[in-house]
Amino acid sequence: MSRNGPLALIFHTLFVIFTLAPIVVVCVVAFTPEGYLSLPTNGPSLRWFRTIARYPEFINAFWTSIWLGTVSSVIALAFSVPAALAIARYDFTGREALTALFMSPLMIPHVVLGIAFLRFFTQIGIGGTFLGLVLSHIVVVLPFALRLTLASATGMDRRIEQAAISLGASEWTVLKRITLPLILPGLASGWALSFITSFDEVTMTVFIAAPGTETLPVRMFLYIQDNIDPLVTSVSASVIAATVVALIVMDRIYGLERLLVGRGSGDR
Amino acid sequence: MAFLVLDGLTKRFGEHIAVENLSLAVEQGEFLALLGPSGCGKTTTLQMIAGFVTPTSGTITLAGQDLLAVKPAKRGLGIVFQSYALFPHMTAAENVAFGLEMQGVDKSERSRRVTEALELVGLGKFAERHPRRMSGGQQQRVALARALVIRPSILLLDEPLSNLDAKLREEMQIELRQIQRNVGTTTILVTHDQSEAMALSDRIAVMSQGRIEQIAPPHEAYERPATPFVANFLGKTNVLQAQVQSGQALLGEGRWPVPAGSPPRVLVTVRPEKIGFADGGAQALAGQVVTRIFQGNHWLYQVDTAHGRVTVIRQNSGETAPAEGEAVRLSWRQEDMSVRPAETAR
Ligand SMILES: Nc1ncnc2c1ncn2[C@@H]1O[C@H](COP(=O)(O)OP(=O)(O)OP(=O)(O)O)[C@@H](O)[C@H]1O
Ligand SMILES: [Mg+2]
Repeated sequence: MSRNGPLALIFHTLFVIFTLAPIVVVCVVAFTPEGYLSLPTNGPSLRWFRTIARYPEFINAFWTSIWLGTVSSVIALAFSVPAALAIARYDFTGREALTALFMSPLMIPHVVLGIAFLRFFTQIGIGGTFLGLVLSHIVVVLPFALRLTLASATGMDRRIEQAAISLGASEWTVLKRITLPLILPGLASGWALSFITSFDEVTMTVFIAAPGTETLPVRMFLYIQDNIDPLVTSVSASVIAATVVALIVMDRIYGLERLLVGRGSGDR
Repeated sequence: MAFLVLDGLTKRFGEHIAVENLSLAVEQGEFLALLGPSGCGKTTTLQMIAGFVTPTSGTITLAGQDLLAVKPAKRGLGIVFQSYALFPHMTAAENVAFGLEMQGVDKSERSRRVTEALELVGLGKFAERHPRRMSGGQQQRVALARALVIRPSILLLDEPLSNLDAKLREEMQIELRQIQRNVGTTTILVTHDQSEAMALSDRIAVMSQGRIEQIAPPHEAYERPATPFVANFLGKTNVLQAQVQSGQALLGEGRWPVPAGSPPRVLVTVRPEKIGFADGGAQALAGQVVTRIFQGNHWLYQVDTAHGRVTVIRQNSGETAPAEGEAVRLSWRQEDMSVRPAETAR
């Protein structure tokens, strides 16, 4: 840490301030007793947290987002594992093209994706359904899931698998007992990034979601178009609090570093 | 028929021929070293025996059975990779137990054999450690125990000691040799270290550019190298050009008898430690000491002669050592030199 020069220190400090400041402001504003966006000057109030309870559509949208994020990231990951192993291992024709195809959603603006999906889903009759949301989110999060899975699959020493084979392990056993445990850190971070990307997505989802299948960001986006009260800040603060709690729980149970950086790296 | 037979084994990677028409027979219980410089095809040969590289042509037979028809997982060979390739997410004991589990050995028998194997390699106390918390030498032993515990028909070792420091390597060489003797497993060791090959093996197969140059016991390969490549690869040697006149090679004023029918120009090869300083006699080559280096148990000389620079190694036995700049006469016995026609030089 002491290797940081004064300039680097200033840079890091500014970086942290710029990243955290908006979050802090939102969290503080959430405790205002007033009916408009303002800092709570006469002591904190839970008025706007209580108000959330009167808007069940926010609660529903929250659960829609959680489900959507979970389902789409898990499916994207299930696609990524075999794809990443094939791309990392075998030199087949169309390998580059396949990688490019999986990565292409990164290069298309989400507005364009939103409009395209809206038309497509309406035509095949799944417009505004949860299924449509899941399908579109799989496409959007796939590059993230694949990138990180691919990184750990490429970095894996093939000799370790060969050692297992020479000891008599079948291909299925090698996958289950050796390959998957070794690429687990990549899978975990790929899943987390996919989930967050899905949970965060609003530009595309706003076109696809319908009343009843609105995600939380979409609900908030629509709400601030018509209202100026601080309800969205208390909703945001709640989501932030939930995230922090989830991270702490995961760290207690698995050890975050171990999960994201690599198994056993903590015991060195 | 020998236990393991490789016949006409060839592997091409595109245009590049990694292994060319390689034939080799290994007896049961034998310790054979595949020795050669980097890139000569040693690992490729081993990988073909293990089944992870498919030969372009040729056959491999193990105990009379066509090995190429057997899947890698069913070959029952023990392999120790250069990088050890331990399972990082398993403890030493779990690593060793893996192969037994695959064979369906029941739990109590399994733990007995795992303990036995770890003790064989001197790691009884490290059963519950993860590989990343072990030293290179310890990891290497786990890899060895893991390969041996399944009682393989052949043990394949790919440069198993190359990641260890010099002192540990020597210790492990002795240990490896003892373990192999005790267990009696047929072993093929791949190495580019000639002293390791000579220290460990019953026979050495010297490889160069995908081919075997010579297969012989270490002593024989060293004393009677079949090709200049083998002579050079197995330790230092001196190669001198000489004229042949009436059945004798002329070196300076010295004359050494050569085999009948030798061409007029020959290359004489003689090992540095076979050369002595002579007082007189006909078989001597005059020269002048350029450098003299003390190396503890021996002296290393560079001597300039009319036939080029000659390296001489003399035991530090207490006799007076010629100083730098001193004129000397080099002599060696006729049976210590090998003679070949100058044209075959590569
Ligand atoms: N998968 C591959 N594709 C193309 N060429 C290869 C492949 N594997 C090996 N080769 C080539 O075949 C030759 C022999 O390789 P090999 O790994 O057998 O050498 P080696 O004798 O084990 O060398 P080292 O001592 O450096 O390990 C090398 O020239 C190498 O570049
Ligand atoms: Mg090699």
